[in-house]
Amino acid sequence: MTAPTASPEQHLARLLWTAGVLILATLPHFQHIPLWVIVLLGVCIVWRLAAAEWGWPLPRTWWRAALAFLAFSAVFVTYRTINGLEAGSALLIVMVALKFLETRHRRDQLVLMMIAYFLVFAGLLATQGLLSMLYLISVVWAATVGFLQLSRRGPLLDARQTGRLAGRLLLQALPIMVALFLLFPRLPGPLWSIPSSGTSGRTGLDSEMSPGDITELGLSDAVAFRVDFAGRPPPASQLYWRGPVLGAFNGRTWSNSGPQYRPQIQDTLQHAGDATRYRVMLEPTGRRWLVALDMPRLWSDDRDIYMDGRYQLMRSRRRGAVRSRIDYEVVSHTEFRALDDLPLKMREGYLQLPEGSNPRTRALARGWRTADPEPTAIIANALNYFRSNEFYYTLTPPPLDANPADEFVFETREGFCEHFASAFTVMMRAAGIPARVVTGYQGGELNPLGEYFIIRQSDAHAWSEVWLAGEGWVRIDPTGAVAPERIAAGLSRAMRADEPVPGRTLARLPWLRNAYLLWDAANTYWNDWVLGYGPGLQRTLMQRMGFQNPGWQTLLALAAAVTALLLIALTAYLTWTFGRRTRPDKAQRLYLTFCRRLARLQLIRSRHEAPRAFADRASRARPDLAATIGAITEEYLQLRYEPGAGPDKLSDLGRLIRDFRPDPR
Amino acid sequence: MLAALAQRVRQRAGRWAHRRQGDDPNPVALRRRRVYILPSALGIGYGFLVFAMLLGSMNYANSMGFALTFLLVGLGLVAMHHCHRNLEGAELRFVGAPPVFVGELAVFTMALVNPHGGQRYELFLSRGEYDSETTDLAPGATARLSLAIPTTERGVLKLPRFSATSRYPGNLFRCWSWLHMPATCLVYPRPAPAGRSLPFTSEDEGDGHRSGRGDSSFTGLRSFVPGDSTGRVAWKAYARTEELLVKQFSGTADSVRWLDWGSLPELDTEARLSQLTRWCLDLNRAGHSFGLRLPNAVVNIGAGSGHLHACLKALALFDDGADR
Repeated sequence: MTAPTASPEQHLARLLWTAGVLILATLPHFQHIPLWVIVLLGVCIVWRLAAAEWGWPLPRTWWRAALAFLAFSAVFVTYRTINGLEAGSALLIVMVALKFLETRHRRDQLVLMMIAYFLVFAGLLATQGLLSMLYLISVVWAATVGFLQLSRRGPLLDARQTGRLAGRLLLQALPIMVALFLLFPRLPGPLWSIPSSGTSGRTGLDSEMSPGDITELGLSDAVAFRVDFAGRPPPASQLYWRGPVLGAFNGRTWSNSGPQYRPQIQDTLQHAGDATRYRVMLEPTGRRWLVALDMPRLWSDDRDIYMDGRYQLMRSRRRGAVRSRIDYEVVSHTEFRALDDLPLKMREGYLQLPEGSNPRTRALARGWRTADPEPTAIIANALNYFRSNEFYYTLTPPPLDANPADEFVFETREGFCEHFASAFTVMMRAAGIPARVVTGYQGGELNPLGEYFIIRQSDAHAWSEVWLAGEGWVRIDPTGAVAPERIAAGLSRAMRADEPVPGRTLARLPWLRNAYLLWDAANTYWNDWVLGYGPGLQRTLMQRMGFQNPGWQTLLALAAAVTALLLIALTAYLTWTFGRRTRPDKAQRLYLTFCRRLARLQLIRSRHEAPRAFADRASRARPDLAATIGAITEEYLQLRYEPGAGPDKLSDLGRLIRDFRPDPR
Repeated sequence: MLAALAQRVRQRAGRWAHRRQGDDPNPVALRRRRVYILPSALGIGYGFLVFAMLLGSMNYANSMGFALTFLLVGLGLVAMHHCHRNLEGAELRFVGAPPVFVGELAVFTMALVNPHGGQRYELFLSRGEYDSETTDLAPGATARLSLAIPTTERGVLKLPRFSATSRYPGNLFRCWSWLHMPATCLVYPRPAPAGRSLPFTSEDEGDGHRSGRGDSSFTGLRSFVPGDSTGRVAWKAYARTEELLVKQFSGTADSVRWLDWGSLPELDTEARLSQLTRWCLDLNRAGHSFGLRLPNAVVNIGAGSGHLHACLKALALFDDGADR
């Protein structure tokens, strides 16, 4: 391929098209790539454009190679890897920037357009809301316009014309996309292990909890998961969504203490009361644990979800962490007994406290135990302690230092749920009662438009579980002792008016709130039916269409057949719109009628014969018709070749030809 | 090596197409059966990109990834149909190819017609490395495209196999039709470098004056050859025999204005033709009348561009029976 021999303005226009599409395609990456990558992209674009416009010198090959090496090293230093989604995207953008700097040929620019498609793809792996579909369509459209423009050897087309052309191509591609989306065999499970992207930027519960962690989540409006109840939802005070269970404590931080798979753990559960059936649509967490209403009895996807030794639902190691939205069904009972027999060795683990930490809290608890060793009395004492002293439930607690329980219990006395849960669990352990912290979510907001619950990160909660002989694990929520409204009515009711609770402004503006809920409902349907379209939904769809359990071969054949049919339809459509020969205009059609009438007299106009020449020949053959033939020919020629010949002339010609019915001699 | 292989494959495919299609009429319509399409290198890259996206989407079980992948699959397939549609049904007519000298590019001018109601984009003709201009064709429009072919030997150059090509939209596919049109271009011999002096000297100046006398020494009659001056036709003989005869004369005055094959015995055939071409051009530029005598053809004395063309054509088509 040769360099475009376009004029300088065309050269600049091509570069501008390329740059525009590239910026549009990199835009969604800006939120999670380092600033220097954005700056590099900007500098390269400006430099290249300046070189085209004002003849700035471009860096020589040697310098470009050095720059590329430097930039790639910088990506590696930033991410410590070049594998993985974020590092990969950053690398791709660096490559785009450097490639743009040296773009000279038409092919370079077209390759950049293809990379633009890939950038959109990489962006979609990170975000996939309803808006992202609009974004996808607009960038694909822009890149297609770019493709059409930049592939031209001749001068660029008018921007609007190209826009329409690209739009038409995409509209024609849309049915194929839908057919393949529905029919292409969806296989469960990844093809290869997905490189972990770390925890950066992901809000949500972690497998660790230090003072302040959940408080931070309390400020986040992000959706953690949504729940669709099959029947009546349980009351808000029962909505304890069980998340990571933390049993190890280092004096400050609670953490998940290693793998604890116990095969018979489910048998220790005794469920009572009504069953609650619901579906959880979990946003990506980057972890293997799943949320479920305390306490789950049954769940879907038996092979991929199991219950670990802490009654926590986990995703199988095979499927790995939740990196995209998943949904699963669970049956839970809010009334239950967790009769874990807790072997001695484990019991010790749940009593463990690091030496020397939080001495005052421990002394306090030991005092209660000396007064009355009955565990229920100790628990009552502890809860009473929180209730009777001036403890505040707040989203802005003062920071805590080395012995957070001591400082919280005796000095600051302002805290969020994790402060209460942590201090309470320390007290229980000090008093000889096996105890652990359970993190998760509590409550949720009903979206009346979609009849489902939205549970946000701000609903994150922490509580305690104590083990009592004969009772098993019992949930104690010390936060409820201080702020019962938190449990019954949610965070914003439990907080003072000046607390920065998310969604409070929203709650004061009903129309805005309704708009928000509508948007969330639309997004949920989107999540359910479009993003959630996987092997399960595909099987259901196929069964509706009369295919019982089709294998991937059947699906692939079906997808190919439907695509082929669509392409045949496209060919027919193109032939219909495009393939028609240019219609002769009205004057021409009238003249052709005239010629047909003469042809009946064996006066056939040959293709090369001009109208006047034909008229002369015809007149010589039929002198009796000469006058009419001459008149018609002159009218026709005036209509065709004289500017300003109007519709009255056309009707004159029409009349003449209508009356022209020569008899054969 | 790879390029050579590709070249051979292309030639074989072209020959196959020629056997299949036969020679084309002029004008020729690019019907469906003779329009071929294959992905371009860029299109193959695009295919790999889409395949990578498909694997990525499967791995991350990402619905939006699938959506984008399938949209691009659709786009590629739609582009293929548009590419084919863009070329199919166009009509091509050979307009002409003015004569050139060996070594120059023979320029064949073609008219490309869009007889349909849809716009066509970015059509061009190509032969080897030589591409014509690229043109967009509005409904019913005609564009002139010229195809340049290098020339290596004199004679009649038959337009070799060439193709009409469309890469719209987006260069993802290359759609083409092979054409074997009855188009020819006359290739004059390459003029020899200037330097060798004319076979007659400066004393021949004013030969027009002497020619009257020279012409008078009549030697006989011979048959008329196209190009003979009408002034030499023996009209009296024509009236008698109804056969066109030309009077032949001898004399120095006549022979000096003739460029004669025999005056260059030391050169081989092609060099002689080159030299004669050079002299024809020089004499024509100087405005002289001259004639050309070849072993099997004679162009009588004349002047002007028509005469020059007749001489050069005789030189171009000269055939002494030897293998060239």
